[in-house]
Amino acid sequence: MLGGLNTRVMMEYLPEIWQGFLATLFLSTASFVGAMALGVLACALTIQPLRWLRAPAVVYVDVIRATPLLAQLYFLYFGLPRLGVVLPEMLIGIIVLSLNSGAYMAEIIRSGILSIPRGQVEAGMSTGLGYMQRMRLIVLPQALRTTVSPLIGQAIVLVKDSSLLSLISVVELTRAGQRIAIDRFMPVEGLVATALGYLVLYYLLKSAAGAWQARNSIPGRG
Amino acid sequence: MIWFYLERIFGYWPVLLKGMGMTIGLSLLSLVIGVVIGFGFGIIRAGGNRWLSRVLGLYIDFFRATPFLVQVFIAYFILPVLGIELSAFAAGVVALSNMAACFIGEIVAAGLKAVPTGQREAAIASGMTRAQQMHLVVMPQAVRIITPSLVGQFVLLIKDSSVVSAIGLLDLTRSGWLIVQSVPNGLLVFGIVGIGYFLICYPLIHLSRRLERRSQTAFL
Amino acid sequence: MTNLNTLASAAIIASLAAVATPAVAGTLDDILARGELRVAVQTQGPPFSFMDKSGQRSGSAIELTTLMAEEMGVKVVYLDFDWDGLLPALMSGKADMLAADMTPTLARATKVAFTKPFMYVGAVAFVKQGGDIASVEDCKKPGTTVAVLLGSTGEKLAPVVFPEAEIKSYKGGGTLLLDAVASGQANCGLNDSSAVKAQAAAYPEGTFTIFEEMLSKEPLAYAVRYDSMDLLAWSNLFIDTVSLDGRLDTNLDYWVNSDSWKADH
Repeated sequence: MLGGLNTRVMMEYLPEIWQGFLATLFLSTASFVGAMALGVLACALTIQPLRWLRAPAVVYVDVIRATPLLAQLYFLYFGLPRLGVVLPEMLIGIIVLSLNSGAYMAEIIRSGILSIPRGQVEAGMSTGLGYMQRMRLIVLPQALRTTVSPLIGQAIVLVKDSSLLSLISVVELTRAGQRIAIDRFMPVEGLVATALGYLVLYYLLKSAAGAWQARNSIPGRG
Repeated sequence: MIWFYLERIFGYWPVLLKGMGMTIGLSLLSLVIGVVIGFGFGIIRAGGNRWLSRVLGLYIDFFRATPFLVQVFIAYFILPVLGIELSAFAAGVVALSNMAACFIGEIVAAGLKAVPTGQREAAIASGMTRAQQMHLVVMPQAVRIITPSLVGQFVLLIKDSSVVSAIGLLDLTRSGWLIVQSVPNGLLVFGIVGIGYFLICYPLIHLSRRLERRSQTAFL
Repeated sequence: MTNLNTLASAAIIASLAAVATPAVAGTLDDILARGELRVAVQTQGPPFSFMDKSGQRSGSAIELTTLMAEEMGVKVVYLDFDWDGLLPALMSGKADMLAADMTPTLARATKVAFTKPFMYVGAVAFVKQGGDIASVEDCKKPGTTVAVLLGSTGEKLAPVVFPEAEIKSYKGGGTLLLDAVASGQANCGLNDSSAVKAQAAAYPEGTFTIFEEMLSKEPLAYAVRYDSMDLLAWSNLFIDTVSLDGRLDTNLDYWVNSDSWKADH
């Protein structure tokens, strides 16, 4: 049965699959950028002392992490028009993905910052550096190094999450595979094409993570 | 105005309740099966047989690389081609437990490797068999290390269970999708759905954090 | 030598007997043996199949297939799917029969066997009332977005009737198209007249303008697999029977040709 895979039809749909692949790439990249921005902002708000600035950030992170992405997607997709806001589906998708991943990135960045040994910060204080300078010269550069791996992990999660956008009619890789299933009644060929596309993206990101690890790990500190 | 919609939504409360029940039931069942299989996976991955570990590694990699939505479609539409006919619920359980097992397998393997080798050496020195070593010395310590991650995994399972709504299974997300088509107020309907998930997940997240602090391991 | 001949003759007679006995039991036999008819229906496709307020499955197709099961003497089990999941469900054997407002197109008929039609509809376009679009001609302007249902005949028709427009395919049911047009995500929608009229009733009076012009003529029929010829023959006889004794018209008048069902569901 699997030997009878209709590769001729799969090749026929290669243009659609390729378009879907590019769309997934675009969606994931745009959402990654958005998520990074939100993540850094939320993290910065959670670690600073002012309670009234901290609370909304904490609420944001906790609510996002305790609810499923699909429910968040439907919430904005069905909900925004009620507020009179009509946006193209792709934009809604990017917004939801950024909001969702942003919360997880905030946590990743926060653990990165908290993993810096106190000694480093104290050394900075004793040499007379102010808060901003300590952040800029000591904490952030080291924190960034430890967070790159988990951040690439989150990028992989983002690529997979983007598949949910097919449920709100965005034409990306999963929807492209569905076309083969629907037009030609071949669900197997459609899913195989889709899975292959995601595997390619996964191994690309994984090798990027591996390359970074090889070049930048500190012996004894990872 | 809002009351008008809320009233109509609460007219659908049997549907919401059914959805909530399905989400909890599906996640719990998949967690149990996933933990059992996941422990098996973990032992294989941390074990001595390199070839078996590598083959399993490829299998696990496939399910960590592909979106869960695609995995659910595979369980529902491709398994029948191989002769395994599944209902939507069965396909959901299969896909969810399988994914849980893959992730838990890696967590367990890491936990087993984290138990200091000195422990195993001491067990060998005391004359224990391999099975006794695992059962009395290594596993209990590994379990203590990974429990916070397991609770975290349960939360992820509950959230991923929302994806099985795509094959028509009436879980909490699907019940919201159904209701919003008759009561076109997405904010209220999915606001309620979100509160439902929050009530289930937030206590679990809290529990996971508390366990983590008690065992003083890094946040995984 | 004689023994071998006897043996050979016995073998030939035995194999002839095996061929002469009925080979595989048909789907109808299977249904009767298991006591259950499995029907694939749309999750949310009023008035043919939908979930009413109490969480019960309801609709024209539900009523007719319940009647079928009664006449067969078995009980009926409903499996619900999004529109694009109906055909795969039937083809993979999950269901014995597909009961929806599906058009028997030639492409679909290469994979499944359709019954004779139980009614005829046409595709209509609809827009939000009070907008810029006043006629079907306006929908044809470049830059217009047209909402269609993933896997439906409307999806195939739209590029033909509106060549300059941007086509958006929604996964799920016809109600999502109305939602898209009402919220402004799409300018026009295209779907069967029966589905659009029934589903528009869920919105306040005057939300939509449905253009009367039928953009296509389509029969609607149920479907079974090609290995279920006995079930197909029975279903066709069923449709003939309920047409003649008026039960089909009663069903269609209640569910499709009027709004009477809205009051009870």
